Amino acid sequence: MKRLFKSLIPTLLSFLIYVIYTGSLRVYDIVTGLVVAAVVGALTSSLIIEDWRKSLDVRRLAHLLKFAVRYFLIDEVRAHMLVIKLGLSPKLGLRPAIVKMPIKTRNDYGITLVSLSITNTPGTVVVDLNKEKGNIYVHWIYATTTVPEESYREVSEVFDEYALRIFE
Amino acid sequence: MLRDIIFVTLLIIIALALSYLTYLGGLGDLPPQDIRLIARSYLNLTYNQGVNWLWAASPEAVTAIVWDYRGLDTLFETVVFYGAILAALTVFRGVSKLPDRIVSVGLSVVVKRTMAIVTLAILTVAASTALHGHLTPGGGFQGGAIASVAPLLLIVVFGKQLFVEKKVSYNKLLTLRNASLGLLSLSTVALLIYGLATNEIGYIFQNQAKALSTLSYPSHMLDVPLGGTLFFLNVFEFLAVTSGFTLVFTLLLSSEEVILKEFEGEEYGY
Repeated sequence: MKRLFKSLIPTLLSFLIYVIYTGSLRVYDIVTGLVVAAVVGALTSSLIIEDWRKSLDVRRLAHLLKFAVRYFLIDEVRAHMLVIKLGLSPKLGLRPAIVKMPIKTRNDYGITLVSLSITNTPGTVVVDLNKEKGNIYVHWIYATTTVPEESYREVSEVFDEYALRIFE
Repeated sequence: MLRDIIFVTLLIIIALALSYLTYLGGLGDLPPQDIRLIARSYLNLTYNQGVNWLWAASPEAVTAIVWDYRGLDTLFETVVFYGAILAALTVFRGVSKLPDRIVSVGLSVVVKRTMAIVTLAILTVAASTALHGHLTPGGGFQGGAIASVAPLLLIVVFGKQLFVEKKVSYNKLLTLRNASLGLLSLSTVALLIYGLATNEIGYIFQNQAKALSTLSYPSHMLDVPLGGTLFFLNVFEFLAVTSGFTLVFTLLLSSEEVILKEFEGEEYGY
């Protein structure tokens, strides 16, 4: 039973990818999709799911969807605007620095979410992390501060809070 | 500035010279404007129910050619491919079952978590490519090639002991590969064997019914054309390619210590 619960979300995800990749919804696609999703879900569940209770929590999923919308519509746009401004300005006003930022999330997926969110926004790249101490090291193209706590608030706090709500 | 002008001028001259050569046919024959006779008959026949003693029951002409019209050729290609894998396994037969003593911690937690989800996507996409080989471009080999990226990346990202923990052993992979190859071969002669047993006419590599043989693989499944043998050959080829590639990857990604055991005594000319 535990294994079934554990493979539920991977199976659903696999089925979704199958249907989108195949691009059609004939009976054949649905039947083969279900079979493939069940097999792939069972094979990968132990790799993907750490705690199946969390994976079936609807509130966490809602936070994840809310984060996805917010990230692509607000955070990405804001970061792009800054880099466009930097690129178009006549003098090259860069203030590059590698800044240490403490993050609160200790969960593997949480750390991954924060790191990838920071890296995917232009202007900031996570270059290293220390899981035990909860520090990430970010290369920042326009570092307004090098104080860990202040830079945390500026760059990673939003992502960290969502990571806590979704995965912790 | 002058250098830039010379560079751009040179690029233009090269482009013009190549176009002129191509126009003259100096780089080989230009692709023909019309479809050749043999291609026309493939296109006319592959999904033509009106000529159902010559059709392949598959709208995907390329797969129909590869696994039906010239299926024997593909079978020998498959034999060459597995011959190569077999050769690799034979060269390292002495060390293939040795446990790797080096325990790798793998890459960072970010790469590991991302890889876990990507593995699911790779395997799903691979399976869809293989299962739709008779309907859309793709097929067993393509699906298998996609799927085998997953174990390759998993070994790099999580370290080789992941396969030990998940009990994916050399013997299991070998069994899967052999079973898939066996079933693949069986599906090419299934109708012949059935014909011999029931005293009817059947052929090697027979897919749909022929003028002299009423035996046939199913032409449709659920609401799509199935392509008879094409579906089965794609599925078994997918499993065989995935397990074959995985076997070679696990072997070649062994630690140097293990691999070098195979070459022990080389310095003395053994």
